[in-house]
Amino acid sequence: MFARSANGNVAPKRVIEGQATNLSRTMHGIAYDAIHDEIVIPVALSGAVLVFKADASGEVPPLRAIQGTRTRLVRPHTVAVDPVNNEILTADPSSRAIFVFDRMANGNVAAKRVISGPKTGLLDIVGLDVDPIRNVIVASSRKGNGDKVGLFVFDRLANGDVEPKQFIGGPNSKLAHFRQVAIDPATGNIFLAQQNTRMKQMEAYVLDQPREAFKAKQTDDEDDDSDEGRLDQMGFIAVYAPDDNGDIPPRGIIKGPGIRMAGAAGVALNPKKKEIITVGGNGFQTFLLPEFFRALKKPGSVTPQ
Amino acid sequence: MRRILIPVAAALGLLLAAAAPSPEASAARDGGVSDDASLDALLAVDCIDDTAAAIAQAAARLPQEGGVASDSWPPNAIGGVIQPIRSVSDPFPTFDGIALDTENGRVIFSDENRHSLLVYDRTAGGASNDVTEPLQWVFGPKTKLGYIAGVEVDPARKEFYTVNNDSGDLLTVFRYEDHGNVQPRRSLLLPHQSWDVSLAPKRDEIVVTVQQSNALNFYKRAATGTTAPLRTIRGLATELEDPHGVFFDEVHGEIVTANHGNWTQIRPYSPYDPQTTEVGEYKSGAFHPSAITFHAADATGDVPPLRTIEGDLSGLNWPMGIDVDLVRDEIAVANYGDSSVRIFRRGDKGNVQPVRVVRGALTQIVGPVSVAIDVKNDELWVANYGDHTAVVFPRTASGNVRPKRVIRNAPKDTPTCGFTNASAAAYDSKRDEILVPN
Repeated sequence: MFARSANGNVAPKRVIEGQATNLSRTMHGIAYDAIHDEIVIPVALSGAVLVFKADASGEVPPLRAIQGTRTRLVRPHTVAVDPVNNEILTADPSSRAIFVFDRMANGNVAAKRVISGPKTGLLDIVGLDVDPIRNVIVASSRKGNGDKVGLFVFDRLANGDVEPKQFIGGPNSKLAHFRQVAIDPATGNIFLAQQNTRMKQMEAYVLDQPREAFKAKQTDDEDDDSDEGRLDQMGFIAVYAPDDNGDIPPRGIIKGPGIRMAGAAGVALNPKKKEIITVGGNGFQTFLLPEFFRALKKPGSVTPQ
Repeated sequence: MRRILIPVAAALGLLLAAAAPSPEASAARDGGVSDDASLDALLAVDCIDDTAAAIAQAAARLPQEGGVASDSWPPNAIGGVIQPIRSVSDPFPTFDGIALDTENGRVIFSDENRHSLLVYDRTAGGASNDVTEPLQWVFGPKTKLGYIAGVEVDPARKEFYTVNNDSGDLLTVFRYEDHGNVQPRRSLLLPHQSWDVSLAPKRDEIVVTVQQSNALNFYKRAATGTTAPLRTIRGLATELEDPHGVFFDEVHGEIVTANHGNWTQIRPYSPYDPQTTEVGEYKSGAFHPSAITFHAADATGDVPPLRTIEGDLSGLNWPMGIDVDLVRDEIAVANYGDSSVRIFRRGDKGNVQPVRVVRGALTQIVGPVSVAIDVKNDELWVANYGDHTAVVFPRTASGNVRPKRVIRNAPKDTPTCGFTNASAAAYDSKRDEILVPN
């Protein structure tokens, strides 16, 4: 945890870590519940979602832990919290699913709803947020063949194998290797952190054996998250209006060396101060952009939607 | 000192060189990337290398090439090339893995923060508050170093190995004469989230820990490319749970592994795998205590450990790097969770107390990630991730004792953010804080 005003090379104000926390050193998502003052964290390496008091520090146990056979969690990657409807959402790339739990769920409990199946188009789900005002769930999901790589918008109460009500992706979007999603609750604007415009590189292994289809030439590529010398493929923060749909470019963008330095894997919002926080590449950066917290114009138009 | 600063300054310099805001960006703002004094000092160094120059030239061409850097993309969008108002990062290396070569008098560290390998003389360090000069620094895009963790050394061949824990999934091998932005002499593709590597010279094999599949993978020492493992120890019976540090004990025919205790079933998860994959009965995740496991060196498959050190008395708490003292018959483990080094008898089993613990403010052990025992010179090395230091003790040090000497990769009291490929954030509106999981 860092002070909002942190700048330069600074140590965190406080850290939650150690055996008793049940955390690991591999966590790819986080959500803050401002109403109940709690932090929600997925732990990919133990198939769990943990909830901590937001003022926790040091080696403290979680308040609640969602884990067990009824949860069907395998490798939860990202989380969101809906304090209005009292729900915790998590997306699991191994289960290829979005799970919705009661906010107070604890232990070996089943999800209230599960969005998963061929119609959903979900595969490598790496970002997730919920908009309780417009009643939608927005997930970012990637697919290696380039089909259905982008943002999937579902009805908040969707359950089972359902099609998304909106999808943003395609060549004009330049969406490829992205991660965290954040929604501004006031406007419904959707923010997405994209690390770079290359599709995520195929990993050499499946389970404990080298992948049969793996092409040896890829061993000569630069590492997956590195973008040295590839400024034309650098990452960015993309911003969309809540009703955006189809193969469209972002309505708002943060790009340039500031984002390139961070790799833009994560994005968080401070609507009160009109600040956007991006994280990646062993650092985080803060941008001041009030216009991103207003209703966005459609690209090419001069009037707000 | 200058030799240390050059690559960092070049890397940061190119970032800033490319930072000139586009005149057509609709919302470009003034303000530096950082006002950090130490960063400014680094940038003041008058140097740039060929790679940085080439990248800067490429950046200058980009608007004409139609990439995302083009001012015309996305059309009519707000924003553009924007400078951050604040930026938090650590421009210095942070020590992670450690490997000691007493034959040739060298010690090698991996640096997960800046993605480099630093090689020092074995006698380096002391009481100075200044940065310790490395003999070699392997650093730059050609090296293919990402978020590297474990390090191993082969004194006979004068080679050193490191494992990309994230970004690249490679074991890379360099030689003692390698320095700067150089390609690895050879590389081997590994499973994602491989963490540590240990060499068995007589068997001519290496063993690698894999966090996400809770496995030990064995390869021929000189394996390259997509070579498959010779054998794998993996499965529920193995008690391998989020394995980190590993030591291939050829003398006793054992593999010694430090485990954090997290366990989940690995299933295909990548965007290149089908939506549903049959991998058998679903098994839920679990939290187990941290443990040190001992497996037979010839074991394969889902086999139980020969013995395990685990339990409250052990004090194990996120144990990371591990080393074995074959003379004193002891094991040293970097216990990240309570900033200690714990030493056990090699034959210990069950819920046992360590024979010694090095811990306390005087020790300067902060978030240790690796250890190395120097039998020849009677020393114990500890690499700190929570501080910009490595500390060296007498081999039998115990309690809250001062180190004999300190190796620094940044000036004394330089803070560190502590990131290891952070990739998400949240904002705590009540405390006005930024939350970053690691």
